[in-house]
Amino acid sequence: MSASTLTIRKRKVDAGRWFRIIAGVAICLGFLLPVLWMISTSFKLPTDIFTTPPKIFSTFTMDNYTSYMQQADIGRRMINTVIVAVGAGVLSLTLGTMAGYALSRLNIRGGATIGVLILASRGVPPIALAVPMFLVARNLGITDMHITLILAYCTFLIPYVMWLMRSFFAALPKELEESAMLDGASRLTTFFRIIVPISMPGIVSTLIFSIILAWEELLFALILTNRNAATIPVAIAGMAADTENGAMWGALTAVGTLTVIPVVIFALMVQKHLINGLAEGATKG
Amino acid sequence: MRTSSLLPKKQEASEIPPPSRRTVKGGYSQPSRARLKFNDLLSKWTFLGPTTLLLLALLAYPIFYTIQISFSELNLATFAPKGWVGWENYKDAITDPGFLNSLKVTGIYLVLALPLQMVLGFGIAYLLNVEWKWRGLVRALFLIPMVVAPVVAGGVWKMLLDPLWGIVNYMLGFVGIGPLNWLGDPNLAMISIVLIDTWRWTPFIVLIASAAMLALPRDVFEAAAVDGARWWHTLIHVSLPLLASAIGAVFVVRWLGAVKMFDIALAATRGGPGQSTNVVNLYIYEEAFRSLKFAESSAMAVIVLVLTMIMTMIFLRTTKKLEDRF
Repeated sequence: MSASTLTIRKRKVDAGRWFRIIAGVAICLGFLLPVLWMISTSFKLPTDIFTTPPKIFSTFTMDNYTSYMQQADIGRRMINTVIVAVGAGVLSLTLGTMAGYALSRLNIRGGATIGVLILASRGVPPIALAVPMFLVARNLGITDMHITLILAYCTFLIPYVMWLMRSFFAALPKELEESAMLDGASRLTTFFRIIVPISMPGIVSTLIFSIILAWEELLFALILTNRNAATIPVAIAGMAADTENGAMWGALTAVGTLTVIPVVIFALMVQKHLINGLAEGATKG
Repeated sequence: MRTSSLLPKKQEASEIPPPSRRTVKGGYSQPSRARLKFNDLLSKWTFLGPTTLLLLALLAYPIFYTIQISFSELNLATFAPKGWVGWENYKDAITDPGFLNSLKVTGIYLVLALPLQMVLGFGIAYLLNVEWKWRGLVRALFLIPMVVAPVVAGGVWKMLLDPLWGIVNYMLGFVGIGPLNWLGDPNLAMISIVLIDTWRWTPFIVLIASAAMLALPRDVFEAAAVDGARWWHTLIHVSLPLLASAIGAVFVVRWLGAVKMFDIALAATRGGPGQSTNVVNLYIYEEAFRSLKFAESSAMAVIVLVLTMIMTMIFLRTTKKLEDRF
């Protein structure tokens, strides 16, 4: 190849590269647009929301955050959501991590079958659990309590955590705990002193995903709560459906923004772990 | 990255020597065999016991209870099942046009959404797979739609797609399309649901696909480039086979999520207009908790459960085969 064809080729490659970068960035912005529009709408006056052409800039107002919030008890629902999401996340992480460790290391009889069962349980549609959970909770008189919702969320979070952590532990070298156990440490001590600390990246990303999954759950929250333990997604579902008083876009976007912002900040802070955890969780077996 | 099967590998018995032997080798005191065995069992149950109990109580028991209710009549005074009615509820379910329609709607949604999201997800990941200083940032930003609660996504898109004040119609107006009644027209409503779902889930696939592509061996592509292979040849003969197992794995994960479709449909259309977006989870929910037909809806839930399990097993087998082939 002569020098000139090489430069042409290089230029072509360069052009292709920049095309891909620009297209990638444009697509990424396209995906962000709905979120940005939601945030900007939440600071608009009703007259600026219901107008055509749509206004990008308008009078800045906090009305949507102040007026509606109080009447719909959004603060309390926010606290409920935090309690339930963190409670369910921590509980399933603790139990699921230990069980995942047992499955990957403790030579459980029928471990392979249990593995298939866990995976299968991730395919159980929550609606198949909804009716009995509602009936049992009702008969036990534990509807509308945080703990009920936390336990309900464990049904999908524990299998999820077990699955992720099981493959995470399977990738760790065995020598780690073997030497500790030779020194006379028990399994449990070894697990908490040696395995948990070095698995922190995996544990943290799994915990965050679990909390996010619980944070946004709707079906169980709809059927198991009504006032005391109702979460934000229930409120949003109500607002989206309520068109009798005219669409409540201001309130909807305000509550939506409040729900999304903490999770986005949280996710971006640990994005590296999250992306790695995501990739490994999906493709590692 | 190891992209091996989603199916768990068989536990190898030889991997871990029983603790007894190890302790003896280490030259420590030699507790009795029975005691070691007891300790071994104890440690297994401390690790696995709580989870087993909880999942039996919260997952296995409700499923059996659903099956029981599906063969009974439900006493609405005590909210407890009574009597055995055989397949009566199942007969009601499969002759219920609403239920059959909801299965059809769910099928249409899955057939439209899953391939679209897979192609878009891997396509965008391919596009982004270039050396660039800010690539990490762009990937991080793709996390954002993923962490928007589905019910928020449904509600916000309902606003964006509004025929009068929605920004989507306004923007389409510039290219001479519309105005379209996105959520008001039965066919378009299904497209809208697929669109919202695709917006929410494509980033997830992009992120996993990007990681899979980063892990591909570089030398193969360099070799292809030196051989003067066209990009589509490289794509079909090099990239796709190398990515086959990742594609299979992502598909299964996405499938497991998509069969649970509920929130977006509830928030954006509530199943309407008519029944055109009434996915099966939403239909069963309304039957159970609005019409209080607990027994019939339990039968429907069992049918959905069985269908989902069968399909999941088929997909798992297929991905396993795909992996073995490449």
